[in-house]
Amino acid sequence: MSRKPVDIGDPDRLYTVTGGRSEADDAFDLVTLIVSECEPTAGMQSEHTRILELCRHPTALVEVSAELKLPITVVRILLGDLHAMGKVSARHPRAAESVATLPETALLQEVLHGLRNL
Amino acid sequence: MSVPARPRQRRSAQKAGSSSAVFPTVLVVTAAGAGAAVGLAPEGARPWVAGTAIAAWACVAAVVAFTSARLRQAQRRTVSRTGELEMTKNNWMQHGAETDQLVNVTLPAIAKQLKGGTGTDEVLSALPTPSDPYLRRMLHVFTTEVAEAVRRTADAQSDLDMMRRELAQGTKELERLTNDTLPAAVSLLREGSSADTVLAKLDWPANPLLRSPAESFIRELAYSERRSAAAQAASAKALSRVQAKTVGMLADLRDMQDRHGGEIFGDLLRLDHSTSQLGLMTDRLALLMGGRSSRVWNKPIVMESILRGSVGRIAAYRRVRLHNSSKAAIAGFAAEGVMHLLAELMDNAANFSPPIDEVHVYVEERSAGLVITIEDSGLKMSDASMRRAEESVSGRITDLASLQGTRLGLSVVGRLAAKHGISVNYRPSSRGGTGVVVLLPPQLMAQQREPVTPERPRLSTDAPATTTASTAPSTVEETFPEQSLGITPTDEAFLADMPRRGTPATPNGLPVRAPGHTMAEAERGRPKTATPPSEAEQSGTGPARDAGSRFGAFHRGRQAGGTLGGSPAPSGEDAEHQTGPATDD
Repeated sequence: MSRKPVDIGDPDRLYTVTGGRSEADDAFDLVTLIVSECEPTAGMQSEHTRILELCRHPTALVEVSAELKLPITVVRILLGDLHAMGKVSARHPRAAESVATLPETALLQEVLHGLRNL
Repeated sequence: MSVPARPRQRRSAQKAGSSSAVFPTVLVVTAAGAGAAVGLAPEGARPWVAGTAIAAWACVAAVVAFTSARLRQAQRRTVSRTGELEMTKNNWMQHGAETDQLVNVTLPAIAKQLKGGTGTDEVLSALPTPSDPYLRRMLHVFTTEVAEAVRRTADAQSDLDMMRRELAQGTKELERLTNDTLPAAVSLLREGSSADTVLAKLDWPANPLLRSPAESFIRELAYSERRSAAAQAASAKALSRVQAKTVGMLADLRDMQDRHGGEIFGDLLRLDHSTSQLGLMTDRLALLMGGRSSRVWNKPIVMESILRGSVGRIAAYRRVRLHNSSKAAIAGFAAEGVMHLLAELMDNAANFSPPIDEVHVYVEERSAGLVITIEDSGLKMSDASMRRAEESVSGRITDLASLQGTRLGLSVVGRLAAKHGISVNYRPSSRGGTGVVVLLPPQLMAQQREPVTPERPRLSTDAPATTTASTAPSTVEETFPEQSLGITPTDEAFLADMPRRGTPATPNGLPVRAPGHTMAEAERGRPKTATPPSEAEQSGTGPARDAGSRFGAFHRGRQAGGTLGGSPAPSGEDAEHQTGPATDD
C-alpha cells in the first residue's frame, strides 16, 4: 500500500467548524484586537473555548488564527459568532494619521530579516 | 343326467319281477274260469264251450308265454345295461376322485415342491401318475409351467434384492454426501482451498452418478469462490488507491484553505465537503470488500472531533445538530471506525427524515461507556424495516450476498460494530422518528482523564498567568504515547513518570529521544524544563507568551491569510511550528 500508515492532523473539516459558512459577517481586520468578555462555558464549541481562553488578554486576529491553526476566514466566522453573542469585543486599530508616520517598508523588512536570523 | 334316471330303472325291474309271478296266476285263473265256464255251460253247448274255452285259454297261454318271454328278454337287457351303467359310473367316480386328488393334493404338492427347489423330473417321478392321459399331459404341462414360473420369480426376486441393495447404498451415499461431505467441502472452499485439494481431502461417493455431479459442483463452486475473492481483492486494491487519492486531496484542500480566502475559500470548502463524502463512499466500499479504512489516527481523537469528522462526511451535515459536552476521547485505533459508523448512521437518519427536519446527536458518558444517540424526526420505521435494520447493524451477517442494492451503509455499520464491540440499537425516537443508540465500550476510550488531573495543577502552579488553553487536544497529544504502548497510566505511575518525561535532554540542552518515543514527542517534553525562566519573564511582562512566539504567531497568521504574495522559507516556518506550541505547554 502506498498510503501512509497513520494520519496526523485532525479529522474535523473546516466546514464543520464553521457550520458550512464560508463568508464572515463582521469585517474584522487582521490586526483587530480581540478581548474575551466572559469565561468559556461547558458545551461550547472547542474553538470558541480556545478563543475565549486565548483572548483573556487582547490578542490580534491573526494571532488567534495562528494559535488555533485555522485560516483567517474561519477565525473571522467564529469571532463573528462570539461577537454576536457578546462574548468577545473587538478593538479596531486606530487608523494611522498618514502613511508618512508609518515606518518604511524597507525598515520593517530589515527588522523581519534580523528577527529571522536570531 | 343319469342320476334321476335311476329310480325309473329300478321300478321297471321291480315291475318285471312281479310280472313274472303274475303270468302263471293269470293262466291258472283263466284255466279255472274256463273250467267253470265249461261246468256251468249247458250240456249241449259243453263241447263247444269246452272247445272255445280251450282255444281261448290256449291263446291266452300263448300270449302270456310270448309276453313273458319278451319280458324276460327285456329284463336281461336291463340287467346288462344296469351293469354297464354301474361300470361307467364307477369309472366316472374313479376319474372324479383322481381329478379331485390331482387338483387338491397333487398340484399343490407339485407347486410346493417346485417352489422348494426340486427339479421337474424328480417331482413327476415321485408322484403317482394319473391313469388318464389327458390328466397326465395336463400334469406335465402344469409342472413345467410352474417350474418356469418359479424360476422366473426367483430371478425377479434376486433382481429386486439387488436393486434394493443398490438403492440403499445409493441413498446412504447420497445422504452422506448431502449431510457431511458437501458442507465440509463448501466450508473448505470458503476458507480458500482449491477444488483439487477439496476433492482429494474428502471422501466422495463411489457411485459415478453421484460423484460426477458432486465433482462438477465443487469445481463450479471453487471457480465462483475464486472469482468472487479475486473481484473482492481487486476492488479492495483499486479502492485503496482511490482512498489514498482522497486522503491526499483532503490534505491538499486543507492546505489550500490555509492559503486562500474570500470566494475561493468557499469553493474550497464545497470541494472539501464533496471529497469527504467521496471518502465515505470509498471507505464504505473498501470495508465491504475486505479492505481497510482510508485513515488511521495515531492519537486519541476527542469526541467533538469525532462527531465533526463524522458529520462532515455526509451530504446533509447542516441538518445535524451536535449536542456534546463530553471531553472524552476515542483511542486512535478505533477513531476512524467510530467516525465511519456514526457517519453512516447520521447519513441514514438524514436521508430518512424530511429535508427540513434536523437530526439531533447527543453524547452521554455512562459507566458502561459512551452513549451516542442519533434521533431523527422522520417517519417512524415499520417493525419489519426496523428489524431489518437491527439485523444489518448487528454484524451477525457479514456475507456480501446479504447486501441489498444501494443500502450498504448499515452493513458497514454492522461490520464496524462487530469489529470494535460497539452495540447499535434502534428504537422509536421521542421526536417521532427513529432513534439509534450507539454504545461505545470503555475499551475504545482513551484513558485521558487520569493523566490530565495531575498535570493541570502543575501547569497552573508553574505558570499561573499562562493563557494556554490546557484543553483536550493538547493534553491528548501528551497522553498518546502511553496509549500507543498499551499502558494505562494510573495517577501514581504517571506522577512517577513525570520527571523522566520532563528531562529528556543532554546537559547542554540538546534533545534526547527516549526509546520508543518519536522525536516530536521528545521535543514536546523537553521545553518543560525551560518553562520557568519564560514564566518568570511572563509574570513580569503580563502577556502570556514571550514576544518571539507572539511574533511568530502573527507572522504565521499573515502567511495563512494569504496576504503575503511571496511564499516564505519553509524551514523558518517549520522552526516556528516546533517552538510555537511547544513553549505553550
